[in-house]
Amino acid sequence: MSFSGKKGVDKAFAMLRTLPRVCLANVRRNPGTRIKPTRGRAQHGGDKHGAGNKGSGQRQNYMRLGYETGNNPFYLRFTYEPYYKGHHLRREYPPLSLLQLQKMIDTDRLDISQPLDLSVICNTGLYKIDPHHKHFGIQLTDEGANIFKAKVNIEVQWASEPVIAAIERNGGVITTAYFDVHSLWAIINPEGFFKKGEAIPRRMVPPQDAIEYYTNPVNRGYLADPEKISWERLVLAQKYGYQLPVLENDPDYAMLTQRKDPRQIFLGLEPGWVVNLRDRCILKPTDEQLKEFYRS
Amino acid sequence: MNVDLYVLHISLVNTFVKMNVIKLHCMRSLCRQLSTSCGVFSYKSAICLENIYPKSNLSITTATEVAVDPNCPNFSGFIPIDKLHITYSSSSGPGGQNVNMVNTKVDLRFHVASADWISKDIRDNILEQHKSRITKEGFLVFRSDKTRFQHLNLADALERLRALIRAVALPVMEVSPETEEKLRKRREKNARIRLVEKRARSLTKQQRNSPSVDF
Repeated sequence: MSFSGKKGVDKAFAMLRTLPRVCLANVRRNPGTRIKPTRGRAQHGGDKHGAGNKGSGQRQNYMRLGYETGNNPFYLRFTYEPYYKGHHLRREYPPLSLLQLQKMIDTDRLDISQPLDLSVICNTGLYKIDPHHKHFGIQLTDEGANIFKAKVNIEVQWASEPVIAAIERNGGVITTAYFDVHSLWAIINPEGFFKKGEAIPRRMVPPQDAIEYYTNPVNRGYLADPEKISWERLVLAQKYGYQLPVLENDPDYAMLTQRKDPRQIFLGLEPGWVVNLRDRCILKPTDEQLKEFYRS
Repeated sequence: MNVDLYVLHISLVNTFVKMNVIKLHCMRSLCRQLSTSCGVFSYKSAICLENIYPKSNLSITTATEVAVDPNCPNFSGFIPIDKLHITYSSSSGPGGQNVNMVNTKVDLRFHVASADWISKDIRDNILEQHKSRITKEGFLVFRSDKTRFQHLNLADALERLRALIRAVALPVMEVSPETEEKLRKRREKNARIRLVEKRARSLTKQQRNSPSVDF
């Protein structure tokens, strides 16, 4: 019975053909499941049977678990330990440094002649988001703020002041926008989402604890007043000591100020549309009620 | 211009149909080119910025003028960065290779007498109040190596400059004679208390000495 030359299914069939029928004589237990047939006497765990000498241990009169012979036990000392309270509501924003962003641009992973957002950055494959782990988007960090040189229109989910300054100093535009979980799944893998055949959902408004951030012009929130954002741009330029580039004179002004609607997930695609990748077409709703819903 | 855009649109659609495998980036760039070049795509939901801010002009512009601050009418807080002379050098202190190689120290200076972005009376006040700080050539210098980053050090130097100008520009508070009298009385009372304590302490110390023979 040599099965050395055969592989996989061939080997399995050869074994079936030649090996004898299964019976009690030729089966064996899994290792570790056989209980030894010896009783606990002498060398096989005899004498004190692992219970030691005298005391509560040998007499099997144990104290309850956690009992500390009378003093206030550890497990009763602290009546309130709210370390994880509300943890399911806490959002995380995995960081992406300006250094990494500059590197991506310099190595042609990102095309800065078009607006950048979460979908474009996830598509590079260099940055990953997992909504299962309560990740809600990109947090742009200020590592590399001193060497950042690109002029971009970027949309992230969280950005601090020096980051905003670094981007605006080079003539770019930064916006912070919120994506709810359903929209997030769609935007981080657009191809996978389109293949499901679902209509593009409306992006939801940020929750209570996030709405203040996204309506604040200081954070360049997507729900903030653009006039106030223009003012804050000047304030930041004065704070960090750079000459504010005049965006209106820039030939790419239209691309730089291009923004999504608060209900829009993908640039160029409306909520309610179904993108059919196989037949290369977009199906739009015709029913008035549906249209009104997706425009609301 | 419009004809060219229309032709571009058609050629893009033709290539789109001929492709066997659609790559996502092509499709996205196509969508974006269509949206930016044709300008037909405009989706406005109920919570678009036009509805949230009906009175705003909804465009990001570059503000050049700063409104007058009612608390400090002489100085609005705006400093033209190009009128300042900023140089960078390496900072002192520990830090190994990084502190030796990177120019994080910021030297910010400007000639006070010829600074036309500050009003004349503030300039004169600066020359008077900070004359010990101003160099022989008439420059006011701010140096900062507070942080490990050049841009933050620049922000620090600018903040100190702005605070200095604002302190000089702020109108001096007029104190009424009643307040003046109250403050004088407080100062005198404090001096009296201090002297009482001083005398008591002195007495204690004298009593610790051995008595001197008085003939």
